[in-house]
Amino acid sequence: MWAILALIILVCSLTIEHFFQIGIFINILQHATFVGLLAIGLSFCIIAGHMDLSIESVMAFAAMLAAWLTATRGSPLGLQVNTWLTLAIVLGFGALVGLINAILVVRLRINAFIVTLAMYIALRGLGLILTGGRSMYGLPADFRFVAANEALGLPLLIWILVGAYVIFGVILRRTRFGRYVYLVGGNPVAPFRAGIDVPRVLFKVFILSAVLAAFAGWLLAARTNGATPNLGVGMLFEAFAAVVIGGVSLRGGVGALSGVFAGVLLLSTIDTAINVMGLDASYMQVVRGLLMLLAVLLDSAKTAAQRRYG
Amino acid sequence: MQLSRRALGILAASACAVAALSPPLAAQDKGTIYYFIPTLLDEFQTESQKAVEALVGGLGYKVVSLDAQNEADRQLRQVEDAILTKPVAMIMNAVDFDAIVPGVEKARAAGIKVLNFDRQIRTTEFELTSVAGTVEIGQLAAGAAIDLLKQRHGSVKGKVLQILGDPGDNYTLDIQQGFEEVMAREAPEVEIVTKAALQWEATNAGKIFEDQLLVTQDIDLVFCHAAHLTVPIVGIMEAKGMKPGDIMMMASNGAPVGLDNIRKGWQQAEIEQPTYAQVYGLAMFLPKILKGEALQPGTYDVMGLQSELTIEAWGPNLKIPGAVITKDNVDDPRFWGNLNAPTGPVTVVE
Repeated sequence: MWAILALIILVCSLTIEHFFQIGIFINILQHATFVGLLAIGLSFCIIAGHMDLSIESVMAFAAMLAAWLTATRGSPLGLQVNTWLTLAIVLGFGALVGLINAILVVRLRINAFIVTLAMYIALRGLGLILTGGRSMYGLPADFRFVAANEALGLPLLIWILVGAYVIFGVILRRTRFGRYVYLVGGNPVAPFRAGIDVPRVLFKVFILSAVLAAFAGWLLAARTNGATPNLGVGMLFEAFAAVVIGGVSLRGGVGALSGVFAGVLLLSTIDTAINVMGLDASYMQVVRGLLMLLAVLLDSAKTAAQRRYG
Repeated sequence: MQLSRRALGILAASACAVAALSPPLAAQDKGTIYYFIPTLLDEFQTESQKAVEALVGGLGYKVVSLDAQNEADRQLRQVEDAILTKPVAMIMNAVDFDAIVPGVEKARAAGIKVLNFDRQIRTTEFELTSVAGTVEIGQLAAGAAIDLLKQRHGSVKGKVLQILGDPGDNYTLDIQQGFEEVMAREAPEVEIVTKAALQWEATNAGKIFEDQLLVTQDIDLVFCHAAHLTVPIVGIMEAKGMKPGDIMMMASNGAPVGLDNIRKGWQQAEIEQPTYAQVYGLAMFLPKILKGEALQPGTYDVMGLQSELTIEAWGPNLKIPGAVITKDNVDDPRFWGNLNAPTGPVTVVE
């Protein structure tokens, strides 16, 4: 997928005026932060043989919760809670949602698709109650520090994104927990017989997914200086698309975060390309869909060629 | 399907919770009126709901509001279900101008009065349509943009970044039409770069703005089709060390965030959509409509706004003027962005 990403970037650079510049590549990475973080948790879930459809709502509610606690305008509270305390509350909220998902899926054996879909819907509703349908904005400067500052010439958000992929990539590939995730997703019966605590692995996966989504929400609030009621709408599908494009099998047990990262960047590249090209707004989604399809077709062709010619 | 005891316990607890949360049956003095809302993820809509429930409820009707969650088919199903409960009237705020028409016709065939809020639907008949005129809002925005560009350059020239909402939404397309018509006629030298924030999602607007900063460094004015789209843009401007007014900004629905931006200098203009007056306009004619009396064309005072009632092919049409909000009039309590929803009583038209 990295080769396809490089090819798409090359084509965009050659054909779209103003595309080939450092600022554009920084934007591509920075804009990929939120879907990128969602896609990490989702990848863990799917590799472990389950789904987590709740991540978008967890992220949105986390952003609303953070804004509700800290925003100077639009929030009925106006508490202006300490930034680090807000982060702790938001991550705690994520952990709680992940725990509830895990209990329902693992202990009560209810289908993960249904459980997390229900959670997705319920959290959107809760967000509506929390915000009263209003935007909350005007976050304190220290809250927004992470979204407004750079390190070594790159926005902090990019470092967080890259760091997250490196850390969780290592966890997935190089730790016992990561290997268990693959084993559980590949065949849940065999690891159980081998003495692996399958429910424990799944609990960790669901909690990890929700905590990462909540963290993405906290960052999103920092980035947008608040939260709007429809914040993040559509990001679930982008995360899914990135995960699948990145080579994670929906049947579980297969996939790597390096591919998912390439998928996330591919989607962000397409979005940025559309933003900078002089394209009529009504053609936007068609072009977006076609470019995604083209990328997947190219990847399939490459895989087929590798199989045929070694 | 077999359910464990624990699952049954959860189901029972959930049922109890739902029952506890359900509102008690209110007295229905004059009958029930349904208000169909396209979405609640929009401050304009939540304020319209508050106004409908306060003003129409204040006339003695039980108001039931239903949120379609931006799904046209869901709204159609809601209308069909509501018809069976025999309400006296319905107030339609359609997700989609065309998809709702079969539902409207079915309701009217069942003898239910149907009033139309905020959508200029011309393909079927209503007892009354109350609109601000979305095309006109775009035209007002163009006037404001021309003034701002003239102040900056001494003549009408420069570059405008127009950020639409979702390109599948008639509301944003109408504003675009009105805006571009006037700009093409009166400001042909102004370059307009148009992009769409899919699903009206603010993060998308932020991405567009940030990308455009790299390819068109000479943007004079950003025009967002809803004020909430400006939230990340202001954040990005601040992060990049820009000062209020470096790039001018305006938006077009009158939401609280837009008014706050004006107070802080980030926005120079906001085109108000007169939500409260639009609701008030429906409420003041409602008793007459329910009596089956004909509405008379003419000029009516709707919350201080001189509004024109005309008889069109789609029924009586009340057009209420929008307003350009600037730092000079931003605190006017009449603007819905100041969140002083009218509580009534409504002066009804006899």
